[in-house]
Amino acid sequence: MDKSQLLLWVGIGLFAIGLVGVMIRRNALVMLMCMELMLNGVILSLVTFSQRTATLSGAVLVFLIFVVAAAEIAIAIPIVLLLSRQRRTLDVEAYSSLKG
Amino acid sequence: MNLLTVIVILPLVGFLLNGLLGPRLGKPFVSAVGCGLPILAFLAAVRCFLLVQGSGGEQPLVEVAYNWATFGDRSFDIAFYFDRLSAVMTLIVTGVGSLIHVYSTGYMKDDPSYARYFAYLNLFLFFMLLLVLGRSLLVCFVGWEGVGLASYLLIGFWFEDPEKAAAGKKAFITNRVGDAGFLLGLFLIYHTLGTLEMDRINSAFLAPTLPAVSASLVGILLFIGACGKSAQIPLHVWLPDAMAGPTPVSALIHAATMVTAGVYLVARLNGIYQHAPEASHVIAIVGAATAFFAASVAVVQTDIKKVLAYSTLSQLGYMFVALGVGAYGVAVFHLYTHAFFKACLFLGAGSVIHALGGEQDIRKMGGLAKKIPITFVTFAVATAAIAGIPPLAGFFSKDEILWFAFSSATGGSPLLWAIGSITALMTSFYMFRLLWLTFLTPSRMSQEVEHHVHESPLNMSGVLIVLAVLSAVGGFVKIPDFLEHVLPLARAGGELEHFEMPLLVFSVIVALTGLAGAIMVYGKGLAKGEVLAARFQGLHRLLSNKYYVDEIYEACLYRPLHWVSDRIFLGVGDRFLIDGSLNGMAALAQRAAGRLSRVETGSLQFYVLLAVGGAAGCLIWMWRHG
Amino acid sequence: MSLQTLLLYLFSGGALFGGLLMLVAQHPMRVALALISSMLCLAGIYAMLGVHVIAVFQVLIYVGAVMVFMVYVIMLLDVRDPSFLRRYSHALTPGVVAGVLLAIALGMAVSQLPGPAPASQDPEGAAFLIRPFSVEFLKTYWLHFELTSVLLVAAVVAAIAVIKGGRRKDG
Repeated sequence: MDKSQLLLWVGIGLFAIGLVGVMIRRNALVMLMCMELMLNGVILSLVTFSQRTATLSGAVLVFLIFVVAAAEIAIAIPIVLLLSRQRRTLDVEAYSSLKG
Repeated sequence: MNLLTVIVILPLVGFLLNGLLGPRLGKPFVSAVGCGLPILAFLAAVRCFLLVQGSGGEQPLVEVAYNWATFGDRSFDIAFYFDRLSAVMTLIVTGVGSLIHVYSTGYMKDDPSYARYFAYLNLFLFFMLLLVLGRSLLVCFVGWEGVGLASYLLIGFWFEDPEKAAAGKKAFITNRVGDAGFLLGLFLIYHTLGTLEMDRINSAFLAPTLPAVSASLVGILLFIGACGKSAQIPLHVWLPDAMAGPTPVSALIHAATMVTAGVYLVARLNGIYQHAPEASHVIAIVGAATAFFAASVAVVQTDIKKVLAYSTLSQLGYMFVALGVGAYGVAVFHLYTHAFFKACLFLGAGSVIHALGGEQDIRKMGGLAKKIPITFVTFAVATAAIAGIPPLAGFFSKDEILWFAFSSATGGSPLLWAIGSITALMTSFYMFRLLWLTFLTPSRMSQEVEHHVHESPLNMSGVLIVLAVLSAVGGFVKIPDFLEHVLPLARAGGELEHFEMPLLVFSVIVALTGLAGAIMVYGKGLAKGEVLAARFQGLHRLLSNKYYVDEIYEACLYRPLHWVSDRIFLGVGDRFLIDGSLNGMAALAQRAAGRLSRVETGSLQFYVLLAVGGAAGCLIWMWRHG
Repeated sequence: MSLQTLLLYLFSGGALFGGLLMLVAQHPMRVALALISSMLCLAGIYAMLGVHVIAVFQVLIYVGAVMVFMVYVIMLLDVRDPSFLRRYSHALTPGVVAGVLLAIALGMAVSQLPGPAPASQDPEGAAFLIRPFSVEFLKTYWLHFELTSVLLVAAVVAAIAVIKGGRRKDG
């Protein structure tokens, strides 16, 4: 297969692995990291397409994704911190007050 | 000039005025409106009567008051029809009605619901006039139902007493059972003839080609309605209980007017009955049975009003016997005389009750002849009239009935005559028993009651005098001949004419025998009567309990219906089916919601899983289906 | 096959392997390290594609800021709680199945792409070198650039609000 196809498959693979990780891991921090992996998969596919079609907008979007990812992690981690302080555990099973 | 509409509307105006404004405007206003308007109606009726007489007596007055409804090419009007038969009925209704209204001003003087009483009385008059003046069976039926309603309101007038209220309910419900038959007859007539107007119905049946409906069937259905209203067996049970109402109400409704509505209906539709021999036979038999049965029960009654109630039943039976043998004019004649003497008797009883401060048991009366002479004399005249002593009114009409029961070419038989004569004997006996025990035997009253006995005021005793005079001389007006044009005369069959004179003498002897018997047994008081009662204990008990008819109805009709209603309709239908299905739906919704809410586990990962699964499914499906 | 292709395969495999390691490792620190290695492989891929800007930024921002922050927090917290011993949630099997299905679905879409794009215009991707990229970026997409700064300010405010609010609740 050619370059683009391979890279796209890799992107999809990363995205899927990240998604599976969100679903199956119990630790809140590990879930966050898997979400970062998903973002990376998306970035890879964006770059691939941008390079294929030789347009710049893909790369610009990637740049913006970096910024958003940084902002997101800056907020998400304090939230997880506070949650874990309240429930005294990082286990996401304990964060189910919305049950029922 | 719409005189007929005026006659009908006047009492309605009285009802509205007294009902709405009466309590505020006081007794004089209520009395003036309540009595004045019926008197005006009576005068209008007299004028109409003179109009009809003036044009030869054969042309009826017809007025269409209002077009009620039109469906395509069928229309229903509220129209009034006034011929000689209507004249007789209207004059009785308004005339005797006005007298009773005047009497009520005295009798109900101290009642707190004075205005309501007169409002209801006027309402009754309105509906009764609709009944007798209506041209079509539909208007007649409106009046029919309406007098039933007014009767319920008036019987249960003192509704705080549950027994009295129950009596009113009984009257209404029993009437309704009869009305079912009436309605079926109505539908049948409309279906075959396409019209409900009574004169047209008659001419359709008297035409050379009969309509394609069984006249007997229609006749019997309409007669069932008449049974309910005129209290014939088996729908007679309401009339004795109806004595719970005020006495003038008993006089007006249950003696003079409402109960005669059935007689009027059959007489008016004589065209049907002339072609329905089976129906006529049934009518005659039912009438004779009622007359006999009621008279036998009246012999042992101890309440003055109950005696008169059973007497009414008995006399109504006579009227139906006359109708059954084809003597329609004679039945109306008896209706006319009965209105006078029965109203007089009831009002006289009211006067006695008023004098004794509410006592109605004849075992506690006696010796009133000297104390309340006017009441006594009028009561005695009316008693003699009902017993059939010549030359009072009752003699003429009752004798005609017995004659035609024997000899009529359309249904007369010696058996009918025999039953009628025995009933006449009993009638004379119990009426004179009543007279003697109430007025002429030594007093059995308590001291204080005796002290307060006083004659009624003029507005009550005056009416009694008028009615007594009418009972005396009313019989000299030959009503059957007067009505010949509308109600064909009965004919005596074969060579039976020479029996007429002997039978007439026989009926006089019967009346006098009853008088003698009453004096013999009750002349000196209750003693001999009690001895007789002890000797024939079983019979006495049977009669006192009115042949246990009420108990039979309770066991056969009321209890099963109540059981069905309670267990099946309430228990199964209402609680189980309706409530159950509603509650079941609510429970179902609750349970379903409970099960469905298990999706919300609160676990974030589970939600993500659902989202991913859904997204994957969507994508695959989209890819598959292009 | 040429060196380029070999390296491409290597880096791709490394990225995927790092991802899989993330799923399997028990200690969150090991997970973090696997992620870092995966990101570095990705940076290598970007560099080979010629988008040097993105590669640099990947290392600088993603690895250098985001993952460092993450490692810092992992070191801060006591990770030996129940989630340490029982790694996987209840949705293990269905999760894996759903993920595989999704991957297959997306892959199907990808494998039906039209043929290679006209790479004749710029085979080496010269437009993605730093100088041309930056000039083009700030010329055409300056608005987006400014909006990101707004976003960052909002993020700063939010972070302060979260921490301050959290502090107040903790008393």
